[in-house]
Amino acid sequence: MSNKGQDMPVLVIGGGIAGIEASLLLANSGRKVYLVEKTSYIGGNVIKFEEVFPNMDCATCMIAPKQQELLADENIELLRLSQVESVSGSAGDFSVKVSKKAGYVDLANCIGCNACFEPCPVEVDNEFEERLAKRKAIYIPCAGALPNVPAIDTDNCLRFKGQECQACQEACMFEAIDFSQQDEELELKVGAIVVATGFESFDINKTTQYGYKKIGDVYSAMEVERLCASNGPTQGQIILQSGQPPRSAAIIHCVGRDQKGYCSSVCCMASLKLSHFIKNKLPEVKITHFYSDLCIPGKAYQKFYEEVKESGVDFIRATVTGVAQSGKERVINYKTEDNKESTLAVDMVILNPALEPGSDSAKLAGILNIKQDRDGFFSAKEPDLTSIATVQDGIFIAGCAQGPKDIAETVAEAEAAAGRILSLSK
Amino acid sequence: MAKRIGVYVCECGTNIAEKVNIDRVLAAVSPLKDVAVAERHKLLCSGDGQEFIRQSIAEHGLTHVVVAACSPKQHEVTFMNVCEKAGLNPQLFQLANIREQCAWVTSDREEATDKALRQIRAAISRVGYHAPLENKEMQCNPDVLVIGGGIAGIKASQVLAAPDRKVYLVEKTSSLGGKVKGFSKLFTNMESGPGLITKEIKSLLDNKYVEVLTESEVEQILGFLGNFEVKVIKKAEDAELDFNVGAVVLATGFELFDPTGLPRYGYGKLDDVYTSLEFEEMNIPEGPTGGKILLKNGKPPQSVAIIHCVGREEKGYCSKVCCIYSLKFDRMLKAQLPQVKVSHLYSDLCIPGKSFQKFYEDTRGLGVEFVRSAKTEVAGDGKGININYETEGGGKSELAADMVILLPAMEPASDAGKFAEMLNIPRDNKGFLVEEHQLLGPVASAVEGIFVIGCARGPQSISESIVQSEAAAGKILSALVPGRKLELEVRVSEISASFCTGCKTCLDVCPYGAITFDETRRISVVNEVLCHGCGNCAAACPSGAASLKHFTFPQIYQELKEVLR
Repeated sequence: MSNKGQDMPVLVIGGGIAGIEASLLLANSGRKVYLVEKTSYIGGNVIKFEEVFPNMDCATCMIAPKQQELLADENIELLRLSQVESVSGSAGDFSVKVSKKAGYVDLANCIGCNACFEPCPVEVDNEFEERLAKRKAIYIPCAGALPNVPAIDTDNCLRFKGQECQACQEACMFEAIDFSQQDEELELKVGAIVVATGFESFDINKTTQYGYKKIGDVYSAMEVERLCASNGPTQGQIILQSGQPPRSAAIIHCVGRDQKGYCSSVCCMASLKLSHFIKNKLPEVKITHFYSDLCIPGKAYQKFYEEVKESGVDFIRATVTGVAQSGKERVINYKTEDNKESTLAVDMVILNPALEPGSDSAKLAGILNIKQDRDGFFSAKEPDLTSIATVQDGIFIAGCAQGPKDIAETVAEAEAAAGRILSLSK
Repeated sequence: MAKRIGVYVCECGTNIAEKVNIDRVLAAVSPLKDVAVAERHKLLCSGDGQEFIRQSIAEHGLTHVVVAACSPKQHEVTFMNVCEKAGLNPQLFQLANIREQCAWVTSDREEATDKALRQIRAAISRVGYHAPLENKEMQCNPDVLVIGGGIAGIKASQVLAAPDRKVYLVEKTSSLGGKVKGFSKLFTNMESGPGLITKEIKSLLDNKYVEVLTESEVEQILGFLGNFEVKVIKKAEDAELDFNVGAVVLATGFELFDPTGLPRYGYGKLDDVYTSLEFEEMNIPEGPTGGKILLKNGKPPQSVAIIHCVGREEKGYCSKVCCIYSLKFDRMLKAQLPQVKVSHLYSDLCIPGKSFQKFYEDTRGLGVEFVRSAKTEVAGDGKGININYETEGGGKSELAADMVILLPAMEPASDAGKFAEMLNIPRDNKGFLVEEHQLLGPVASAVEGIFVIGCARGPQSISESIVQSEAAAGKILSALVPGRKLELEVRVSEISASFCTGCKTCLDVCPYGAITFDETRRISVVNEVLCHGCGNCAAACPSGAASLKHFTFPQIYQELKEVLR
């Protein structure tokens, strides 16, 4: 046993639910925490969901108290718009370089009133709304993003293209917009590191058979999440590109599973949730799931499946071989396990893609000198014993950065990382 | 002492000022009884605004403060801190939310002003009835009781033990190691279960800050986070041991669903129908067959059928780990009997996560058959076993096998019920202990200071159980720091001893187990350490004895009176 670094600050990378939970526990014990987040807000992927399975909790309501507790915690220094550039040293004594981009909005002055959006002359696709809506170059990334201050999209803001625009600055009555802010380099000394960089969705454009982006009304699960969301681009109305509600929908599971070579754990439940959303709003819609194996592990999920099934949803065990357009309809071609080929015509196709590690995982693995598995997720030293400890003493992983998992498992891993850091045992 | 209330209305830039005629508001509230000062400010939450209030409190000798601004979620704490800095008890403050609940949602300026006025009058009326609640602290004991000596309990003890934190590990049987010591191989690394357990037990016994109590039963746990009194009976010595801890970790594990109740599987009636745990036992050198996979007649099987999801329909959930450990069985069978024919009868393969698919594909490569099936029935005629099943397409089919391995559902061990009752922790309709919050509080229970890990809270893999043991340790190490006092919630419930009729309604509605019944006085008593101030008891109490501090009936009535005026 060693006491090395027991009072040292801790670096947490990633401000999603895992990073938030780990930071709060560590800070509550009295440790100083630096939380490095690359976007302008904390909340991660969870706040993108209006409701989360299996109890259909409102996701933003669920984590808002934790976000607020974190922002108010004097032991936690939130470094937004920041990335870890280098790490040296060893457990108990790491030196970390962090680059922090200027946000150009002063947190102390901004009250989040949104008065700056209106006058901004730039309009671009809103990536949070899966490009189903527009936003300005100064914008709040999404509902539930905290701290509640706007971000400036320097790729699109006219000022950063050499023009003299200061429309937002003039509209702000609190002098919160400050274009003189500079990027910073920070040097931190920490005793331990928690890596909680989360997941991204498999890029469906890498597949061809589903007609994604080629045939109208073929959607990703995240796009449908936003269509179902009351704060989304259609205020929760599920409508096709024609403006009409669908009469039928097909939900295709395991998109990308073959390419990725693993089961993403949560997609069956996420697909069932979409059925639940759609049936709730449009009870007459005929929904068909195309799946190979239903993976609803644990004590809590079967009940949800049964409820969805009882609401009149069909399940066909088959491989979807293609999606084609035929007049107003989309035709699903599929093959059942006994090699019989059939088709089904629907108005709406929903593709549920695999989960992947965050796109900067490889860079971070290099910086931290920890291992990735063949799929790019960070790997544990002894994954059959505990998923959180890496080959580097003092560096822990939590949540989907290690592999696909649900919110409860993610939170447990974050608490576990805090446990190992606060523990004397190695 | 006369009340002197200060009222501060925030313009919030134009956010409030545009919709609320603040001058009209100030003119209306200034003459009200007890209002000593009423003023406006451009932005009260700014450093400048906070200083403005602080100075005003001192200048006017205020006893209470009302701020009319944004949502309490945004700045209630900010303004309570301002009061405290000005020497005023922060509970003698009330925030009226005239931004989100008024200016932002009311289009007509006159209507918005009227509404803001009602909200502010309500706050003024209410704040006069606020009590100066004092912050309380409590000494706490950092030691921990871990119940259950399986892998989860062992790991939790190791992570928690320290020179300033003693861990008591209580195991009811005579040896540590739980189920894992009976698994000859573990997925996916195919290493030895007994090997792992031996190593972990050695490290545990070497840890001088852990006291291991085998053949012991926890008889009683009384108390609350930071202060539990524990009574343990050491069965071998017939001795009683009493000690105190600050937190309790329940790691009581699982049992298998008993397939005897489902005659269609032939278990208990036919030779050579085994449960998964019996098959595990057959594979350890100390087992009944000396580690050899043998039929009752002493011969090795030539064909084995593995039947998935036994009891799943009856239990109503997927036990999560059976698919993956059945693949481990394939490897154990093929390693010992390379020629053996193995068939899986299953409905859905549940191998969640990044690493199991490869294990599945590699196992499949050994030559194992997977048959989708339903309504499986196992029959024997004395010569062999015949399995009838329905195929995916709905047709009938059959399969002969020398040996059948059933994969029964996992159930909580019987102790889960005992401790649920002892500690007042709810169980779900399957008997598993319920989490504080299914997603955000996975290892905490509804009772603060009591944690539930591993299969006591649902089917888990070994690695998930270990992560949960580390997670419980994380929660405990974060909350119970040696030498640090616990800060208690001030807005808690209180039950008037003279009004309480002893009907016990409050006991049923309290989700935190914070109310106990004093049998000698025949009244309910609130434990302020456990109470979270949810107000359930105050709402449910038929005799008006229960009330919530800071949300008392007079306070609420005063507020309502003005809102509805």
